[in-house]
Amino acid sequence: MKSINELEKKANWVRNQVLSMIVSANKGHIGGAFSCADILTALYYGDVLKYNSHDPSWFGRDRFILSKGHSAPTLYAILADLGFFSMSELNSFCQKGSMLGSHPDRSIPGVEANTGSLGHGLSVATGMALSGKMGKKNHLVFVVLGDGECQEGSVWEAAMFAGHYKINNLVAIIDYNRQTATDFIDNSVDLEPFINKWKDFNWDVRSVNGHSFEELLKVFSDVRTREILKPLVVIASTIKGKGVSFMEGSLPWHHSVPTKEYLEIAKRELSI
Amino acid sequence: MLETSIDIRDALFDAVYDLAINDKELIFITGDMGAFSLEKFKKNLPDQYINAGIAEQNIIGLAAGLALEGRNVFVYALAPFITMRCYEQIKIDISSMHLPVKMLGSGPGFTYSQDGPTHNVVQDVAIIRAIPGVVIFNPSDQVSAKNIIKISYKCQSPVYIRIDKGELPRLYSNDYDFSDGLSLLKKGNDLLIITTGIMVHQAFKLADELAKYSIDAGIVDIYRIKPINDQLLLSFIGQVSRIITLEEHSIIGGIGSIVSEILVDNGKIMPVKKFAVADKYIDRYGDREWTWSAYGLDVSSIVNEILNWNKILKV
Repeated sequence: MKSINELEKKANWVRNQVLSMIVSANKGHIGGAFSCADILTALYYGDVLKYNSHDPSWFGRDRFILSKGHSAPTLYAILADLGFFSMSELNSFCQKGSMLGSHPDRSIPGVEANTGSLGHGLSVATGMALSGKMGKKNHLVFVVLGDGECQEGSVWEAAMFAGHYKINNLVAIIDYNRQTATDFIDNSVDLEPFINKWKDFNWDVRSVNGHSFEELLKVFSDVRTREILKPLVVIASTIKGKGVSFMEGSLPWHHSVPTKEYLEIAKRELSI
Repeated sequence: MLETSIDIRDALFDAVYDLAINDKELIFITGDMGAFSLEKFKKNLPDQYINAGIAEQNIIGLAAGLALEGRNVFVYALAPFITMRCYEQIKIDISSMHLPVKMLGSGPGFTYSQDGPTHNVVQDVAIIRAIPGVVIFNPSDQVSAKNIIKISYKCQSPVYIRIDKGELPRLYSNDYDFSDGLSLLKKGNDLLIITTGIMVHQAFKLADELAKYSIDAGIVDIYRIKPINDQLLLSFIGQVSRIITLEEHSIIGGIGSIVSEILVDNGKIMPVKKFAVADKYIDRYGDREWTWSAYGLDVSSIVNEILNWNKILKV
């Protein structure tokens, strides 16, 4: 496993790749891509997920679904770096004929489900996990959701089902950056008390700083040995636009594309 | 030759049960809907039977997840809910991921007419056929229902099946081959009634009535609405001078629209009259026959309309 310092450097590299992709395509949801970069880095480089980049459909793999599909560039950078597909593919992000669209689909090696419209991934992940339980398999199913996504009713249909059927091989992680496309979440429809909501739906609930690799690795350390017969949700507090000062917590950077001096500042801060 | 008549739902679910006994990968998810023959499924194959509650969006997502893992998934709920409530899930989770999930919608059209617009669905064909790759079946009797399940099970595409209810008169022999997608159930020299599902039976009554006016009407049953067998349909159409379509579905987007599209796409010009559910709510409730009358789909109204049409056509 990589050290904390190495993970931090890797996450920084991921953000740099995301920035390049979005600037090159002049399109992309940079704020949310940055807020979940540390979570995905911890999962893929912190010995949490089991995968085989040379055999993406290896049956024993853990399944990973990025339900907040608009953060696809973060996932693409990681999958390319791990060898699921060529690094050069990243240059084609959203370009004519590219396999890498703004939202991920299953034609991309390493992508388990088509996502983008919010509120779908948890149900699909629950179905995959249910199948694993039926077959008494050991792999886990991980799904990353946005917090704004949790305003979708379908999330709670899935949450209720997974809690009732004790789908304990399912791990949901919420990228809780407290912002949606146009507003702060407590100004639109607040999720609080968020922990209680998941508890009430019979989930094992944990909270974590989504930018602390120490906390992220610790929270995932026992995912395969949990004895509690409940699905696990990790509520990861994050900062939208994390890593670039002028983007952090700033509403316009949900899907703005930095140019000129903003781009120079972003590059400079991410090169540290 | 024919077996004892049974409820079309039981014929259909018996067929699913027979498949499930021999396929442990077959999973049946119900949205809190039952049927007489499902009781044995629930009792004898509990590991393959899930009541996922009243949550159609989640049901489709669950089905997709199970199908991604190689399971053969059938989902079952009321037709209005398993099509319209979770339309986006069908588009994204099932269709865009090319998953062969089978969606069984009970009570299409005005099957539950007294329950009103919440429980009636006359838009399902229009919307589902707009989703790429989804095969649509509409069985008209117990034999077609049973065989359509067998065909669907082998189908690598998503499938939506409209399921009527009750002991419908038998139309097909047990050995009938349903691979064509549509069949000419009655030949006629004057006009062709192109219809589907429950309305096939209404078409026979209509043909009998038209015969009293010396109009010899043929009947085509479209039991597979998508992909439609347009070439076979055109061969039947070529034998008559005019067509009517008859369906318990909105006039927008059902088989009336499909037939019109086929004629236009093939450069064929001929008189067509569409008998379907008008684009409006009537805000009044009654049994199915009453509801058909309220929308002008009773035999008497249709005959009058055809006789007037004949005067205009001068035939």
